Amino acid sequence: MAKIDITNLRKTFGDDGEQIVAVDDFNLNIRDGEFLVFVGPSGCGKTTTLRCIAGLEDVTSGTIEFNGTDVTDKRARERDVAMVFQNYALYPHMTVRKNIGFPLRLSTKQTSEEIDSRVQNVTELLGIEDLLEKKPKELSGGQQQRVALGRAIIRDPEVFLMDEPLSNLDAKLRSTMRTELQELQQELGVTTAYVTHDQTEAMAMGDRIVVLNGGVLQQVGTASEVYRSPTNEFVAGFIGSPSINLFTAVVDGNTLTGPGGFSYTLEDESLVAGRDHVRVGIRPEDLTLSESGSLPCEVTVVEQMGNENFLYGKMDDIDITARIESEIRPSEGSVVEFGFAEEDLYLFDAETTEALKTKTGETDIDYDQYTQTKSVS
Amino acid sequence: MVLTAIQSTLRSSTTYQQLSDRVRYARQDLSGAVPSIPGLPYLYISPFFILFGIFLMFPAAYTFYLSFFDYVGVSNNILLSIQMGPVVISIPEIANLEFVGLNHYERLIFRDSLFHRSLFNTSFIFLVQVPTMVILGLATALVLDAKFIRAKGLFRTLIALPVATGLVAYSTIFLLLFNGEVGLVNYVLEQVGVGAIPWLGDGFWARITLVIAVTWRWLGYNMIILLAGLQTIPEPLYEAAEIDGANRWQKFRYVTLPQLRPVLLFVIVSSTIGTFQIFAEPYVITGGGPSNATITIVQYIYNQAFLQLNLGYASAVSVILVVLVSIMSIIQIRYGSEE
Repeated sequence: MAKIDITNLRKTFGDDGEQIVAVDDFNLNIRDGEFLVFVGPSGCGKTTTLRCIAGLEDVTSGTIEFNGTDVTDKRARERDVAMVFQNYALYPHMTVRKNIGFPLRLSTKQTSEEIDSRVQNVTELLGIEDLLEKKPKELSGGQQQRVALGRAIIRDPEVFLMDEPLSNLDAKLRSTMRTELQELQQELGVTTAYVTHDQTEAMAMGDRIVVLNGGVLQQVGTASEVYRSPTNEFVAGFIGSPSINLFTAVVDGNTLTGPGGFSYTLEDESLVAGRDHVRVGIRPEDLTLSESGSLPCEVTVVEQMGNENFLYGKMDDIDITARIESEIRPSEGSVVEFGFAEEDLYLFDAETTEALKTKTGETDIDYDQYTQTKSVS
Repeated sequence: MVLTAIQSTLRSSTTYQQLSDRVRYARQDLSGAVPSIPGLPYLYISPFFILFGIFLMFPAAYTFYLSFFDYVGVSNNILLSIQMGPVVISIPEIANLEFVGLNHYERLIFRDSLFHRSLFNTSFIFLVQVPTMVILGLATALVLDAKFIRAKGLFRTLIALPVATGLVAYSTIFLLLFNGEVGLVNYVLEQVGVGAIPWLGDGFWARITLVIAVTWRWLGYNMIILLAGLQTIPEPLYEAAEIDGANRWQKFRYVTLPQLRPVLLFVIVSSTIGTFQIFAEPYVITGGGPSNATITIVQYIYNQAFLQLNLGYASAVSVILVVLVSIMSIIQIRYGSEE
């Protein structure tokens, strides 16, 4: 078990000529036993950061500490980390038994009987004890995934690192494994850093979420923090499914005027004081159909989800998404109007994209308690 | 009604016909425009089979046949004559052969000490050369595969270049280099204080000279194949091994070697076949000497066939060589591909 402190991490690729900055000015403290999820679009530096923690990449500058010990210059094999790779990286020529036992054969002086019994325990924990004599190519994706997990947990490492471990599985298996991984992590209590590009996965699994973009850390927080109080427009747009509706509005006193007839009068004028333009964000779930709403929208498609409908439409040339009740199905081409509560409105600076206002209200909820009850259920 | 009338008028017009032909040819990718002759594709691929039959199948089969005969001389007899009216087609016998059954094989296996000598020499070269070259080839491939090496392309080309040199040309150069009195190698050895080595004058050293020559020429070829094999090993396997706690040697032992196994097997089998067929190097560099210490099997076949005109006996040696090489290869493949 370990806490990890990353200070001023910077990682660039390429030599003298063209340098590509993968991660820049990255500071993060991972708590002991925490399940931390790195999320962001491809190329955002999340995998690079993970590989720096693993010791598979040399850092350009900055330090990485495990439990206060500087491990920046240590090799991966000296850091006591275990990693699950995206393609599992199982040794093709070894049986499941040998794959899982491999770290113990290398790094400890245990006898082969002791290793065998450890392998037995781990495979029983993962439910793959009947696959021991099979080679990786004879296994399904989900089984390979479990073998890779087995190889990671057998050593009882300080830190688990997982690089998109679920991305090669089909949707159903993915959600099963998601739950299993969380249960496993809670059972073992090992500090875990997990990389994914899927914000749903990040929200569902992480004790805390690290949102990255373009090699720069955007926000660290619990699922509800990054959802309710994003620090900037990028986080707001990346977190939440379907994603938030965003457009630019002109400020005139306390009135916001947007494309396609959008018009809204703010109760609190101070939010936009001294500005010409702001970026407006409203989550699809906060839009409600209304007789005389401030957001008119021409319906293009209505998708039925069973419990609700997703309404896709256009406000001038801006795409609008709304989640509406399943009984309501406006016909395509019709114009509907949406209203929303001001406490659900997001406002961002038009230039810096920093958040000016995020969701307010209901702030009394203890998020930590909320996430804990959520992850147990 | 009106529509059908227009359609039928259109269909009968010549323009329509031409147009529809063009559309049809275009649809069939013009294949409709080429007359179709049954069996034409076989005609196109026949040159290979004809050449293969004449220059490989027939000589191989004829060699096997010849190994049961003694070649007595050129014959003027007619083997087969077909009379078709005024035209007579006759096939001459070419060689005057005398059937000897298994005599050649009996003599080869039990009585021919020069053949045993050549078998020993070839085996010696094989046992020293193939392991040396595979280990050296793997080592150079590993070095050239390492991340820190610069100008990889240049080294790769330089090491692989000898394979493009003519057999006789490079053999002649080695003959000069390893000359006992005026050779560069002995000159250098004397300068550094090791002293001259009787490279071509002593049987053992003459064989070593051949090993060095063959290794120089084929190292690059095998290195390129091994390098290609190394580059197909997925990087995540090494990373997984690093995370699992493997050091350099353990990564080589548990990842590189098992992953490279099929490529290594290919290199070993093809080198084995190549070494058992070695001819030009002993022919040019040592001439089989001193006192037959470097005569190889193929050189012995050459001597028997083209110097002494014992074509039947030479064929029997060839058959034995095929059997030997086949056995070696089968053993290697069996052992090498065990799972």
